[in-house]
Amino acid sequence: MELSQEKLLEMYKKMVTVREFEQSLSEAVASGTLPGFVHLGIGQEAVHVGVAYALRATDWVTSTHRDHGMLIARGADIKRCRAEIFGKADGYCKGKGGSMHLAAFDKNAPGCNGILGPSQTINNGIALALKRRGEGDIAVVLFGDGAAHRGEFHEALNLASCWKLPSLAICVNNQYAISVCFDDACSIDDIAARASGYGMPGLVVDGNDVMAVYEAVTETVKSIREGKGPALLELKTRRYKGHFEGDPQSYKTPEEIAEEMKHDPIPIFAKQLLEQEITTEEDLNAIEEEVQKELQEAIEFTDQSPYPSLEEIYTDLTYEERRAV
Amino acid sequence: MKPVGLIANPASGKDIRRLVAYGSVFDNNEKVNIVRRVILGLDAMGVKDILIMPDYFGIGVRAIEDLKVSSRITFLDMKRDNTQDDSARAAEILNELGVACIITLGGDGTNRVVAKTCAETPLLPISTGTNNVFPSMVEGTLAGMAAGFTAIDSSDRPDFIKQAPRLTIKYGSEIVDMALIDIVVSKPGFIGTRAVWDISTLQEIFLSRAEPGNIGFSSIGGNISEMPSTNGKGIHIIIGPGSYEIKAPIAPGLIRSVPVKAYRLFEPGEEMPLAHTPAMIALDGERERIERKKMQVAVEIDLHGPWVIDIPRALQQAAKQRLFHNPSPSRR
Amino acid sequence: MREITYAEAIREALRQEMKLDDKVFVFGEDVGAFGGCFGVTAGLYDEFGPDRVMDTPISEAAILGTALGAALMGMRPVPEIMFIDFMTVCMDYLTNQAPKTRYMCGGQVQKLPMVVRAPSGGWIRAAGQHSQSLEGWFTQVPGLKVVMPATPHDAKGLLTASLRDNNPILFIEHKVLYNEAGPVPEEEYVIPLGQAEVKKEGTDITLISYSFMLNKALSVAEQLAGQGISAEVVDLRTLNPLDHDTIAQSVQKTHKAVVVQEAVEMGGVAGQVVKSLMDSSFDYLDAPIKTVAAANTVIPFSPPLEDAMLPSEEKIVAAVNEIAG
Repeated sequence: MELSQEKLLEMYKKMVTVREFEQSLSEAVASGTLPGFVHLGIGQEAVHVGVAYALRATDWVTSTHRDHGMLIARGADIKRCRAEIFGKADGYCKGKGGSMHLAAFDKNAPGCNGILGPSQTINNGIALALKRRGEGDIAVVLFGDGAAHRGEFHEALNLASCWKLPSLAICVNNQYAISVCFDDACSIDDIAARASGYGMPGLVVDGNDVMAVYEAVTETVKSIREGKGPALLELKTRRYKGHFEGDPQSYKTPEEIAEEMKHDPIPIFAKQLLEQEITTEEDLNAIEEEVQKELQEAIEFTDQSPYPSLEEIYTDLTYEERRAV
Repeated sequence: MKPVGLIANPASGKDIRRLVAYGSVFDNNEKVNIVRRVILGLDAMGVKDILIMPDYFGIGVRAIEDLKVSSRITFLDMKRDNTQDDSARAAEILNELGVACIITLGGDGTNRVVAKTCAETPLLPISTGTNNVFPSMVEGTLAGMAAGFTAIDSSDRPDFIKQAPRLTIKYGSEIVDMALIDIVVSKPGFIGTRAVWDISTLQEIFLSRAEPGNIGFSSIGGNISEMPSTNGKGIHIIIGPGSYEIKAPIAPGLIRSVPVKAYRLFEPGEEMPLAHTPAMIALDGERERIERKKMQVAVEIDLHGPWVIDIPRALQQAAKQRLFHNPSPSRR
Repeated sequence: MREITYAEAIREALRQEMKLDDKVFVFGEDVGAFGGCFGVTAGLYDEFGPDRVMDTPISEAAILGTALGAALMGMRPVPEIMFIDFMTVCMDYLTNQAPKTRYMCGGQVQKLPMVVRAPSGGWIRAAGQHSQSLEGWFTQVPGLKVVMPATPHDAKGLLTASLRDNNPILFIEHKVLYNEAGPVPEEEYVIPLGQAEVKKEGTDITLISYSFMLNKALSVAEQLAGQGISAEVVDLRTLNPLDHDTIAQSVQKTHKAVVVQEAVEMGGVAGQVVKSLMDSSFDYLDAPIKTVAAANTVIPFSPPLEDAMLPSEEKIVAAVNEIAG
């Protein structure tokens, strides 16, 4: 688990980047300039960065509508991410996917699926292909506590275990599926406890501590790459904004929201870095300034990017080329 | 007749040791069954009041569903963080309420936290965690009966309740933390997933006991054949290539060869300064503290650990006192 | 030319393609050593082994999800859903998922080759949930091709074309046709998708159909010849994309049309064919276009009831006679 100072600071910068990126979307919603819906992952940066940094670039990570941060942590270009969220032609998906279908295939990130459940079974197919390739790469899928009750959760884990697929299922449990609290929707206390029902290890991890996430994912993928079969991780965390931006979170008391924010992963990590004298306050401030600058560039890029031409309505629908035999 | 307290930790047994070692999954439903058996044991001994720490899984709540006992069962009125602080808070309250003893369900980590605030109230630790040196693998019903006996028994300090040793971490004369079984000092790093399983960063270990029959880091000391019986003394082990390489089961299913450079026993009251700072300190199997550079940190052993009930001896006493004899029919 | 059954023809297409391209693999419930519930994949397991022919648990969502994920990664999966009636439990993959993947990611995914095979149709006394013809639902999904062969010859050619196509395809087989024999060339060959075929030429009226009912239409055409009516029979073969040109040409020649589908009357392909003809050939029509379909009810178990509610040769003849004169 040895990470260099450079790597640790890179991780910190990524967490701040994700936070500021999401914050700027929140501001865009407030000012009425963002079309459609966004689901912000503010509070879940330790999940995004801890997972991303424990994986290889050749691993695949499929994620949820709350995980713009997962793509950013994996190295996706924040300019193209933002442009996509605003429906602009220079977005990753030419503006045709938006926030809910944001994908960066060049980073092995099929991205978000608008339906909860299928990503877990699709991940099995990716894992099957990776297993056949034989290079030890793994397929990771993130899903929320709500999606863990979909039939696909069970079908996917069972099949992955039967076929010993190199897949890692990560349940990001932020305690709420829109307004329904986890305790009211789940028959047991930890999603990870279901793992033993599918013959695989299940671990509960503090999702607010980026190093705990990093460590747990690192050890888990080591085991999967050794061919020991799939695993299920449950990262316990919180989201500070509503299910979608604009949701006033009437289902949480102000005390609860205040309590949640006491476990903010970014100050937690900063404190750890300062305590171990890995960095200084000045350096952390400098990182924050760099992030602001990069975000400003992304905002300008988005503003200057045009909407896609109307022809794009009909493109990318069927695959023209036939395979020659 | 004193009340009896119960603290069941819902979190124990689901950490990364499940993956890097092969510990059995101890699911909370099993803990519910254990608590049920404990309550039945307490009830059989005539305990009138049982006070239970509330937890997010509702182990206690589920245990008493459909359970018909004469004991009155109350949940402590306390704030819950759903962290290990809950166990400490509960122990403090139970001690103030003057319970006869506190039954704990957990591993070394849970008991360590309870021991910080339980003061003189004796503990009856039932094992449900990963590293279980301090608590016993004991059947819940018997644990309940033994605990029930302590509530009835009027003697001040019965000989089946003994005080355990503890290790302390001191800044000068101030005790800042403690451990019941082991303090493991490693190269500095992050607390992360808390568990300790990577021996490549170990620097030194302090133990309150060293018996070969125990799982965990204390087995490193216990498996040294020349280790004398320790009798209230601490054991200090310096890790590094040297005199011994010890095969030790540091976690269930995890047997590692640990290089032991040197070891020695140390007396209560003897200050053992840490060899290196900065350092990462793990207490009873969990990474807990980071000691910064140039901190003057020392470890000591003393005999002021928690009071612990010896279950077989307690039940022996109870049998001798005819407490298991119901009044004979002719006397009705 | 030698004659083989529809099932054998499908098996032969699979075999020949699996030999040519080791990325092609077959999986589903009981398709392995058992050879599939209708015997279509018999022998493939022995020839290609468990890495190319895989049994799965009863997990349709996992089956199609795995297919999608594998197709994303360059494999060419051929999942089988045992009865098209079961497609309902994994609808998402043929509606929200596979047909939209390329579009929503703006073309980052260049191909998604998956051929989902499913038997459909009645007359086997399997009652309401095992006898349906549901192809109509799937024709309303942009991005999904729907193919339904009527003869062993077409089954092999169309399946080969499907296996070489780079799009998600729903290949619907008819259960009753599995044991019907017909002439099939031994070598591999391709019948292009999206092309209807005039199976029998005629001058007085056009019968348009597909799958099992196409065979009924051909039978009816022979009967009608005895009555002095020369019927042209057009087999749609591919339902989406629909071959508007071939049906227009035929009806512009004969000036009358009867469209026959096994599916229930409300909704479905026949209505779309009528719309197509109205758009292309209204001025050529000498009579209203008739349709023959199953009654708008649940397929009953009792054999005389099933036979009465499904379309029959008598009903087709009756429809012809209403407009032929």
